Amino acid sequence: MNLLDVTALGQSALELPTTHDAVSLLVVTQLAAPAATLVAIGVPAVLGRHLSERLTTWLVGAGFSIGLLAGLATLCVLSLRGFAPEAVHLGTWFSVGHHEATIDLVADGLSVPYVCFSTGLCALVNAFAGKYLHREPGFTRFFLLLALFGTGMNLMVLAGSIDVLFAGWEFLGISSTLLIGFFQDRTNAAKAAVRAFITYRICDVGLLTAGVMVHRAVGSGDFERLFSGAWPNGHCLVPATTATVISLLLVFAAMGKSAQVPFSNWLPMAMEGPTPSSAIFYGALSIHAGAYVLLRCESLLEAAPMARLLLVVIGVGTAVHAAAVGRVQTDLKSMLAYASMTQAGIIFAEIGLGLRVVALVHIVSHAILRSLQILRSPSALHDRHELEAALGGHPGGGKSWLRDNLPPAAQAWLYRVSLERGFEEMAVMRLIVGPIWRLLQRIATAEQAWTAWLGGEKPALRVGGPPMFGRRMRSKAQSGGEE
Amino acid sequence: MNLTAPQDLLLVMLGIAVLAPLAAAGWMASGLSSRSPRTGAVVAMSLSLLASLTVAWQWHNGRGVPVECGDRMGGGAFIDIDGVTAVLLPYMALVGLAIVIVAPKRFLDAPATARTLAGVGATLALFSTAHPLVLVALSIVTVLPTWWSVSSTPGGSPTARILVLAMVPALACLTAGTLLMLCDPPWEKDCGMVGATGGWLVAAAVLLRKGIIPVHSWYPALFSAAPMSTALVATMPQVASYLAVRLLIGHADHGQGVAVELMVLSQLALVTAVYGAALALVQRELRGLIGMLAMSQSALVLAGLSGKLPMELSGAFCVWISSGLALTGIGLVAWALESRAGPLSLETHQGRFRDSPMLAAFFLLFGLACIGLPGTLSFVADDLIVSGSLDEQLHAGLLVIAATVLSGIAVMRAWFMIFGGPEAVNGPRHQILPRERLALTVLLATLFGLGINPAPLVRVLDRAAGHLLGVPVQADGHGHAEPPPAPL
Repeated sequence: MNLLDVTALGQSALELPTTHDAVSLLVVTQLAAPAATLVAIGVPAVLGRHLSERLTTWLVGAGFSIGLLAGLATLCVLSLRGFAPEAVHLGTWFSVGHHEATIDLVADGLSVPYVCFSTGLCALVNAFAGKYLHREPGFTRFFLLLALFGTGMNLMVLAGSIDVLFAGWEFLGISSTLLIGFFQDRTNAAKAAVRAFITYRICDVGLLTAGVMVHRAVGSGDFERLFSGAWPNGHCLVPATTATVISLLLVFAAMGKSAQVPFSNWLPMAMEGPTPSSAIFYGALSIHAGAYVLLRCESLLEAAPMARLLLVVIGVGTAVHAAAVGRVQTDLKSMLAYASMTQAGIIFAEIGLGLRVVALVHIVSHAILRSLQILRSPSALHDRHELEAALGGHPGGGKSWLRDNLPPAAQAWLYRVSLERGFEEMAVMRLIVGPIWRLLQRIATAEQAWTAWLGGEKPALRVGGPPMFGRRMRSKAQSGGEE
Repeated sequence: MNLTAPQDLLLVMLGIAVLAPLAAAGWMASGLSSRSPRTGAVVAMSLSLLASLTVAWQWHNGRGVPVECGDRMGGGAFIDIDGVTAVLLPYMALVGLAIVIVAPKRFLDAPATARTLAGVGATLALFSTAHPLVLVALSIVTVLPTWWSVSSTPGGSPTARILVLAMVPALACLTAGTLLMLCDPPWEKDCGMVGATGGWLVAAAVLLRKGIIPVHSWYPALFSAAPMSTALVATMPQVASYLAVRLLIGHADHGQGVAVELMVLSQLALVTAVYGAALALVQRELRGLIGMLAMSQSALVLAGLSGKLPMELSGAFCVWISSGLALTGIGLVAWALESRAGPLSLETHQGRFRDSPMLAAFFLLFGLACIGLPGTLSFVADDLIVSGSLDEQLHAGLLVIAATVLSGIAVMRAWFMIFGGPEAVNGPRHQILPRERLALTVLLATLFGLGINPAPLVRVLDRAAGHLLGVPVQADGHGHAEPPPAPL
């Protein structure tokens, strides 16, 4: 809008660019604040100058708090304007020919409340972790990864194009992986991190391909060209076939991050990470990242009934699976992981049924409850003892419908299936991962023999190769008793 | 030959960039040096890097006009500086400098340093020419230090034999093919069978020199058996990609587009990219993994070079730079770790994090920079190459995505295998040395700096790609096509 147009439209029109500028500034602040803390802690760490624990916690906390305040201010401005979406164009990152990578963000009824919720939660977990990880050798590393996660989360939530969303999504995946493997000296932590990363990476194919499909369909990654209107009542702007293909790819991408069957077995293993990161990643934000992406692209799903049906099936299947398996877990964090998975499955089903606002409310309420439960989990035993002392005995178990109504044989079968985690992991490893891994090992062995022959040596064949997640250690003493 | 003052300076700087490492190599090989080889090597490579940066800067200030000097033959001049050269010269000088700074002391005797510097110097000379016969001669010269180094390494004779088996036919094909192409230029209207045969021979040379399936065995073998400096100097410049750029691009339609031979090669390159990334997953040792990753990334460059769009070519150039810098970083970290506690197995968790946390951090950051982390140059490169490939051929884009995904898994798995698990070494800590920190930080800053602000680099590469393909490029947004070469 040039100056003459503004003058002609009068005083009311003059307010529009001012509001837009204010919203733009606030949105940039929401992104820049956690990103600045990442630089403030990361650069000294690379240069070998670690900041003190107090300063580190304070810096990260300040970054999240400023982001939260900016989010709340944006929420106020948007609420005064009826939550009309505000597109923020930060410029072109690079361009080649007709291909432009633009940095587009959007402030609307979905992104701004969500960013307030996620930044606020990050700030709280930051405060908790400052005490919880006191004198931990990886203190700075934890906060660095938390800041990276916060930046990625805000980038993903505020994304106005699929390119920006993918960038945020990748930050989430990397920070999640590194925090699962935070305790490096534990072999299980390293294995769990690799497993989570493999799942993320495989499902990233969906988002990456969806991004390319969006570019092919509309010539850019902007959501404005995919759908229009204010959330949750947007309208799809692409043909139904295109919408279906993109939606199916997005569902595939979301399944990995949100631990939906058959990509769910990494989630209980991911609890190897520090409790604060487990709370924020697998109780609150990361587990719902897939659901958020689906909510963001709800207009596409509206035009893709097949994808919605698939969502309902996957969601219900995951919820039933996780509810059954969660009941037989013997440690609290695994139980909570399966509880999170159950709720994530129900949220998927809600999105598939078109209950968008319900799904958003469900995400926020579940995230708050679950992160609190996970943060409290290290002291759960202490709580239990206090409860028993107050009651003067065992509090007793609740009634179980299954126990009362299922025949004993069926109960035993269900127990066995649940204990084996629905044979999900076994099926994936035996039918998909195992054969591929063995094939690659055979090719590598043949390659080795061929190279040895070319070099004029007698091929010294070593059949087989390293297992995907590493061999068992040679002795307990060497492994520190881990295995 | 009338040279203006800025172009005089450009040629002088080019001379310094090329001759400094060669002179230092000669000095060290002669045995006259009494000081530590590292000091001389670092001075020579620093000089080369500064001069290369000045060349790039001068070229940029001259509105990015390609500069040609000396005899011209078959579409290329004796000295030919365009966008590709302006980027590749500082890139190679930086790789060489990082290698001589980080190289462990016991691998940096005078002969080894001389070989490294000779390899870097010959590669820099190769990058500054487009003359077909000079390209052939310098291609032969660049192989010699590698062969010399491998054959003088204890236990390196099988690898030297594999190298000879690959390089002798490659150089023979290159020589014969180039001569045939000069006799019967394929870019002329009346090109006959002779020129076409020449083109296919050059393509075969590129196939062998680049380690594309099915003639790829020398690539991982070199990483497994040779000193890391030799492997990096031999593979990171991607000499075969440069030969493809100069000899096979611009031939299809009377001086425009990509030769059909390159398009055929690109299909094999795509398979190699996926194959290398997949086999990287099941390697038993870190060196094997780096070799497979390097092979995969190098194949991606060739796949991108066959594109008909400037975007794909730009993506290929970006992968060239980003993967080269990132793999150099990974290789140097691996070398530093090996020099402290021996070979790095990927069969069990090695628990090296507590031992060298800074090296772990650098390995991770270089690994992420290699697999397309947003904010690094490889993210930009992947974006360009995937988008470009999918614009042309869906299967190519999907294979590129598959290669990227598998590389990512391989890198992160390796990181957790090396640094995860119970502490294996119960001895003194191996802190990072200041010189290692300096070199690795500079490499990392370059990768992240170019990733956060990629526009200037992408613009330069896009203009160069447009010029190579004969397509007017409007990368600056003002509708300016690539200007014609400046007459000298």
